[in-house]
Amino acid sequence: MTAPQPSVPTVNAALRSAAASPYSLTFLDAQERETAFTWTKVLERASAVAGGLAARGVRGGDRVAIVIPTSPAFTDAFFGTLLAGAVPVPLYPPVRLGRLDEYHRATARMLERVGAAVVVSDERVKLLLGQSVATARPRLGLVDAEELLASAPGEWVEPRPEDLGLIQFSSGSTVDPKPVALEQRHLLAQCAALKSLMPEPASAGQLGVSWLPLYHDMGLIGALLSAAYYPGPLVLIPPEVFLGTPAIWLRAISRFRGTISPAPNFAYGLCLKRVSDRELEGVDLRSWRYALNGAEPVSPEVLRRFTERFRPLGFDAASMMPVYGLSEASLAVTFSPRRAPARVCPVDARALAEEGRADAGSYELASVGRPLPGVEVEIRGEDGRARPERRVGRVVVRGPSVMRGYYEDAEATAAALPGGWLDTGDLGFFADGELYLCGREKDLVIVRGANHAPQEFEACLEGLAGVRPGCAVALGFTPPDETSEELLILAERRGAPPQDAAVEDAIRGAVVERTGVRPHTVKMLEPGTLPRTSSGKMRRREALRRYLAGQLTPPRRMNVVRMAAELARSTFALARSRLERLRGER
Amino acid sequence: MTLVSAPAEEELRGQALAEIRRILGEQRAAASASAGVELSQALVADIHLDSMELLTLAVGLENRFRVKLNEADSAGIVTVGDLVDLVVRRALAAAAAERSAP
Repeated sequence: MTAPQPSVPTVNAALRSAAASPYSLTFLDAQERETAFTWTKVLERASAVAGGLAARGVRGGDRVAIVIPTSPAFTDAFFGTLLAGAVPVPLYPPVRLGRLDEYHRATARMLERVGAAVVVSDERVKLLLGQSVATARPRLGLVDAEELLASAPGEWVEPRPEDLGLIQFSSGSTVDPKPVALEQRHLLAQCAALKSLMPEPASAGQLGVSWLPLYHDMGLIGALLSAAYYPGPLVLIPPEVFLGTPAIWLRAISRFRGTISPAPNFAYGLCLKRVSDRELEGVDLRSWRYALNGAEPVSPEVLRRFTERFRPLGFDAASMMPVYGLSEASLAVTFSPRRAPARVCPVDARALAEEGRADAGSYELASVGRPLPGVEVEIRGEDGRARPERRVGRVVVRGPSVMRGYYEDAEATAAALPGGWLDTGDLGFFADGELYLCGREKDLVIVRGANHAPQEFEACLEGLAGVRPGCAVALGFTPPDETSEELLILAERRGAPPQDAAVEDAIRGAVVERTGVRPHTVKMLEPGTLPRTSSGKMRRREALRRYLAGQLTPPRRMNVVRMAAELARSTFALARSRLERLRGER
Repeated sequence: MTLVSAPAEEELRGQALAEIRRILGEQRAAASASAGVELSQALVADIHLDSMELLTLAVGLENRFRVKLNEADSAGIVTVGDLVDLVVRRALAAAAAERSAP
């Protein structure tokens, strides 16, 4: 299928056409009070911010970091940056009771990485950014979005479709943050593809509801930019309001007759766990046509349980639509059709893990659907060749919304885009033309929809008594009793096994303290148990494979006799292979 | 809940601790994890609350006691007792403000 042609060339043009529509952006607070702005007003406010940015010296192409929670100030700053011809870089704001020292380090690192010219914040958050700004020293310092709003409207700079329109971090932390550079045309291609899959216009009642963070692709591109592109109405809920009271999300869908509302798997699980029937009195979910489920592995059990629990409120099983994407592809790569129930493929877990074959079995995987129109997805083996159906390989993607590259990092870009294909680092297979994901080749831990580099967790163990230095790995896995990905730490002990419990506790504390993520499982191992490369580097994926297969065993002790036997065996093997080669040549 | 008259500080402290235990109990499947929560325990170092649990706790306390905690508050908050103190301080201030309002 060919890519649908975007109706406008840039986000700036999309915003202007939205401003001519009657629709609004509505912000909901913790008390479920509304603050609504028409798109006309959104454009007007953004124009003032653009004027303020230009007056302060922001020039075309400058990177403008935006550190603002979900609020009108965010959209003011985001669209204002674009109207000024600059590139918005949304970063996560600090959270209540969160750890500030780690936050400063990560924020300063990301500001430096994109060479931010200025940081735009709001009244509350700016008080907390001093340290990050002092470290990164952006050219024009820190400004309050509200001050910018008081400026005279600026002249709009008209970007070209191939100009940068957004830099989003695929995993934002002190360790190796990856700034994904997206051009205007990439964003528009994504919006056009999404609209072609959910084609009902706002005049037919299309309405988005999202509590997803706006510094993340699913909330920013999937909800905010898409709403401007349709154009249509959108209700935004701050993520912390959803986390505090998940029922607010479902109530908002009911109250505003929401039709599109995306969320990661964990959020659907959270509704099962933390929403009571009492909180849902009068709630009607019949309007919810597109319950998109992405950003982390999708659990068939959560799909089923969510559908069962909320069917009495009018939730349509066909609305539950697993999707797959990544920030390097702007957002979505594959999309499920509307159907009930969501498609599930039962496979043999052992054949899948050990031989890369999707044979029939009892381990269930959820389909994440088919490639978006205009997007090519291939499964490749280690030899780089395409794999047949039901054979596992690396998922590679090519299409109109794939990033230009990582911002000013030619090396990482070349590694991620070999031959013009995006190497997702995810493992999967096709069955009946649909994609199933079954693991990851890249080192990445996804907890609650957020990406983390394993080094982020491993660094917490440095200097911890009882752990062999440098001999621990952090991995993402779905525990047998859970429905979403969790953090696993495998560490080799230095000391006696009786101390394991205390060391495990210390590891948990150190990791949660510095990263905000609590390991689900910590396992202490005999020295030498973790698999390493010949140069001594830890092989994380192999460690996980062995852990899951129950094959993490300490190395055999080498004595002289065994060493001699090994030597003889390998000499014999070498001789045999030479012989075979000779035979082959004849 | 409305704070018509300032309840005794002690009573408020008890309510805050009970609410923290309730929220944590809801968060953690293992009820035992929350039942034993004491004032002297560190939220992160001892109880190992992760970022989502901390946020949920903050939002839950805000809703229950009609107070506002902000991002900068984390600086002085280490133990459960610190958090109880903060909530009580904010709740009493809010009640005082309400009384002095015309």
